[in-house]
Amino acid sequence: MNKDVRTTVFTIIALAVCILLQSTILNRIAIRGVRPDLALIVLVFVSMRRGSMVGQVSGFAAGLFEDLMNVSPLGFHSLMRTVIGYLYGIFAGNVFIDPFLMPMVLTVIATILKGLIAGIISAIFGIASSGFITFTGRLWIEVAYNGVLAPFLFALLGLFRVFKQADKEGD
Amino acid sequence: MPGLFEGFIARHRRGVTLTVLVLVSFGFLLVSNRAVVIKPKEVGLSFVGFFQKGFTGFFRWFGDTAGSIRQLNAAREELEAAQARLQDMDRVTREIVELRRQNAMLRQQLDFAQTLTPDRIAAEVIARDSDNLFSTITINKGWRQGVRTGMPVVAYQADMEGLVGKVLSVGPGASEVLPLYDPQCMVSARLDTTRDEGLVRGEGRDRGTVLLQYVKKTAKNAIQYGDLVVTSGLGGLYPKGINLGRVREIKALAYETSLEIEVEPIINFDRLENVFLIDAEPAPVLDTPDASGDPGAQQGSPTGAKPAVPPTQNKPAQAPAQGAGQ
Repeated sequence: MNKDVRTTVFTIIALAVCILLQSTILNRIAIRGVRPDLALIVLVFVSMRRGSMVGQVSGFAAGLFEDLMNVSPLGFHSLMRTVIGYLYGIFAGNVFIDPFLMPMVLTVIATILKGLIAGIISAIFGIASSGFITFTGRLWIEVAYNGVLAPFLFALLGLFRVFKQADKEGD
Repeated sequence: MPGLFEGFIARHRRGVTLTVLVLVSFGFLLVSNRAVVIKPKEVGLSFVGFFQKGFTGFFRWFGDTAGSIRQLNAAREELEAAQARLQDMDRVTREIVELRRQNAMLRQQLDFAQTLTPDRIAAEVIARDSDNLFSTITINKGWRQGVRTGMPVVAYQADMEGLVGKVLSVGPGASEVLPLYDPQCMVSARLDTTRDEGLVRGEGRDRGTVLLQYVKKTAKNAIQYGDLVVTSGLGGLYPKGINLGRVREIKALAYETSLEIEVEPIINFDRLENVFLIDAEPAPVLDTPDASGDPGAQQGSPTGAKPAVPPTQNKPAQAPAQGAGQ
């Protein structure tokens, strides 16, 4: 099996597990009802390691899975995660990722980007949600939460050989 | 020509893949989101409006922070006044307890008939929306256990029954519930003390409160902080008298003809574990022509609380966008 294909499959599985965790046991550690988006952190990590192709395809598949199990319209999360996976994949291999600061910075930006994309999609398609569509306090709680968890998750994912840095970007 | 096309795809593999995936996602959104009406002017307005809301919200936050300091001083004075009123309320509460006891006794003496005793289906909360953008709750009962779309959902906390929301979509063994605080959830309500009617609408998870709207301004002086808000039963979806919350703030805006009352829900949604679904199918307990002849008057719901067709896996995505009120 092609290495990119293998990585994509592993990433989709990892993202699906994260999404399931988010909808169940992570509720126990929610702050004001806000849970960390582990799937987003994993997507950022993989995209930065393996490039745009792996990032966008696995982001799309995981987003679709999320849309199927949630109240969101089909295509909502898939579009959001595809774009994030692609954008972060562009920088694969070009950014030095230290163990602490860069994971935080990358994840914080990704979470804000997620809020922005979600807001734009909701505005265009007239989707109502009770989340952070208008950049309310919930977004900033998630930004902080994801930022804090990112270094730990990056360190954990770094142990898996399947996510090893690509020699050359993406393709 | 085919060679040129293949060469283009090979050179721009990532870009082509991105375009395909984005188009597929857009396609899904167009198909699955029934509320979508693609008109260029409206799309432009929505797009710009999103950023306008962001800017307004940002500057309002600064304004609110300054306002909060002023409010703190005012709150201190209000606290002293409230303490004085609390003593008075204690006396009133004692009187109410006595009146309730008398009422129960008189009802018993009059042999008051309990005509409707809706069945309840107990369920457990098994999941919530995986993202923080939406707010549905997943429960472990589906159409196999008799759950139907539109069923009211209640829970018990601190010895009180409170409305959780209503069933949004039903699967074979699990269902999704639209919580009371969701902006798409609307419930016809009334103030338990003054009996003024209004409409309760969710304000989103961020605020943690719901808004009681369309209450006449003339009722302002009669409404007290802490007054109970209950379902009015109008519309037929929610049974009458289910607790919704307590009055937290009363706003009488000069340009509005009605009051806006902030209500704190009875239910703490962070602690929600077990719920009950109310099956308000008409109980055939009365043989009078009125009861059997016009069930719709009591139970019929325009939103499909009692679907004529078997429950279906209604893709939940459509519900928030099309409004889920009663």
